[in-house]
Amino acid sequence: MNLPPERDSSGRFVKPEQEPPKPSDHEMHPMSRILFGWVGSPRTPLVLLILTVVIAIGLVLFDFAVDRDEYVDMANANGFYAVWGFAAFALAVLSGWPLGKLLRRDEDYYGEADTTPHDVEQDS
Amino acid sequence: MSGLIGQINPGLLLILVGFAGCLTPVQRVRQALMVATPVVAILLLATAERGTDLATASVIGLDLVLYKVDSLSFIFGLAFLIAALLNAIYALHTDDRLQDGMALAYAGAAVAATFAGDLMTLFIFWEITAVSSVFLILRAGTKAAYQAAMRYLGVQILSGVLLLDGLAYVYKSTGSLSMEAFTSFDQPGVKFIFAAFAIKAAFPFLHNWLQDAYPKSTVVGAVVLSAFTTKLAVYAFARMFPGFEILIWIGAIMTVFPVFFAVIENDLRKVLSYSLNNQLGFMICAIGIGTPLAINGAAAHAFAHIIYKGLLFMSMGAVLYRVGTAKASELGGLYKSMPWTTIFCIIGAVSISAFPLFSGFVAKAMTMSAVAHEGYVIVWMMLLFASAGVLEHSGIKIPYFTFFGHDSGIRVKEAPFNMLLAMGMAAFICIAIGLPTIGGFGYGWLYNMLPCTVTAPADVCLISGEEIKPYKPYTLDHVLTQLQLLMFAVLAFMLLKRFGLYPPEKPGTILDTDWVFRKPGYGMVKWAGTVWGKVGPAMTAFFGRIGSQTFEKIETTFSPRGALARGPLTVSMAMWSAVLLGIVMLVVLLA
Repeated sequence: MNLPPERDSSGRFVKPEQEPPKPSDHEMHPMSRILFGWVGSPRTPLVLLILTVVIAIGLVLFDFAVDRDEYVDMANANGFYAVWGFAAFALAVLSGWPLGKLLRRDEDYYGEADTTPHDVEQDS
Repeated sequence: MSGLIGQINPGLLLILVGFAGCLTPVQRVRQALMVATPVVAILLLATAERGTDLATASVIGLDLVLYKVDSLSFIFGLAFLIAALLNAIYALHTDDRLQDGMALAYAGAAVAATFAGDLMTLFIFWEITAVSSVFLILRAGTKAAYQAAMRYLGVQILSGVLLLDGLAYVYKSTGSLSMEAFTSFDQPGVKFIFAAFAIKAAFPFLHNWLQDAYPKSTVVGAVVLSAFTTKLAVYAFARMFPGFEILIWIGAIMTVFPVFFAVIENDLRKVLSYSLNNQLGFMICAIGIGTPLAINGAAAHAFAHIIYKGLLFMSMGAVLYRVGTAKASELGGLYKSMPWTTIFCIIGAVSISAFPLFSGFVAKAMTMSAVAHEGYVIVWMMLLFASAGVLEHSGIKIPYFTFFGHDSGIRVKEAPFNMLLAMGMAAFICIAIGLPTIGGFGYGWLYNMLPCTVTAPADVCLISGEEIKPYKPYTLDHVLTQLQLLMFAVLAFMLLKRFGLYPPEKPGTILDTDWVFRKPGYGMVKWAGTVWGKVGPAMTAFFGRIGSQTFEKIETTFSPRGALARGPLTVSMAMWSAVLLGIVMLVVLLA
């Protein structure tokens, strides 16, 4: 039986879970506001993506204008490094899905879960 | 006077002051010593004459060269001394006598080993690095750190024992312990020495001690450890095994396999440890190529790497110190609290990723060019893959998941001033040696220190007479291709994150090849112990019973009271023996 989200398994009404409060920027370091004030903007990820795409395409187009002479023949192809960089990065990251499933175990697998050294700040 | 000063081994000075530091209870006095000594040592090194035996000793008939500087050892020694200075500044907020002293002694041992002029001296300081560095792990004070420290010590001592075995064979066959490069594995003792270096350089399947111990050491300890042990091994390989082809392939594998572990690892200090492996691979590969350009590449890479890897460990150490964890799954948004640490971490990240204008770019370029020039296409492709991998785990993962990404809501104080100062100095070096040369500033400073210049001695560089052209990293081709590689890798990251294809950071233990001896291996030993505990006494009793029965039978047969001593057979035997003896004597008399 599918119950609406505001009821529990026995059908009784439950208080909806509150979203955790958004971390406050009140205690933000003054230098952070100067250096990284732009990071928190919701438009930033898209702007960065567009900027990266423009630079990346520009680099490939510029490659056509440059006559390169590489020791490795295939590297002379225009955009070779672009394709290799994209593919290598994607392969490395995507391999994380199966590898994580295969190799990840519980934190206490070797009985050594506590690895926080004693020289960290006491109130941390 | 300056001649005498130039004969003082800077490494030995660090060791002595380090041990004295362990006995100095006043924090400020001790720390002043820890900071001042590397500065003095750098000045000593600057005055040292190159290519001569500056300090010698004769012990049990062995002529030892305790201090010798040449163009190869100089750059490694200088990098170690700069790292020792940065580490001492980074540790100023702590009051730990043992850690302060041992960190300096460890650095000193690495420096002294670098300037060793014979294998026995190398062995002695090789062992001191092992014994002194273990305290940097032990001082973390956790059970995990204790166990990792014991494993670390065991592995490091094994490396020393193999080195001692090897040098004994070398001495026996050649009568000399001089540190001349080997030419073949067929020479006696070479395989032992190779294995000793391989352990310390964390070759594949021998690498686990590194990822095991470094992330469990103290905040300061991980920074110190990252600089010396493995780079000392790289120096030793460059000195003794240049041009050994097997190193090319081992190095290439070293660059690739850590990439996959680093992607899924959650502990960011462990990610940096895998990244360390990956970087060592470039250096080992270059040493295997062995041409002057490649040896220069290995030396430049080691120098740059000691600084930027130290910087990355420092930034993660600062986060660990303030937050209490370095796990990616628990961090995020720290740029709001630690802006300076964020900036310094980013400088370390772009340096290791080899972005133009940063140290990794000018250092890695030589290795890549040397590999391509010698026609190792597959190796070159592996290194290119690893370059994108470095960007993933050290260039993006470390700063992104710590300082940006999901806001963990953690708000802490910025790192202590001394940590920021050390990070700032390291960041300055990363930029200073990465910039184009303008008026004596820029990568030219690093390149002028490289071992294989036109005037370099032939025994260091394996130069066969040809002219060495100065390498120029800032060509249009090189900048363009490197930017293509990196920007498209960054684009891949953005797209994978945007479409939810980037694997989430999850807590857990990632199994590595050490699982074999830590789980089934340990299980088998434990099982064998249990079995022996039960079977042993029964077997002892069984063999004891057989032994006593056999003895009894022998005694009843052959003893003076035994069966053979009684009856006619024995009497006739005695008579016949006497007759035979008489005949023999008669024959001898007549002859």
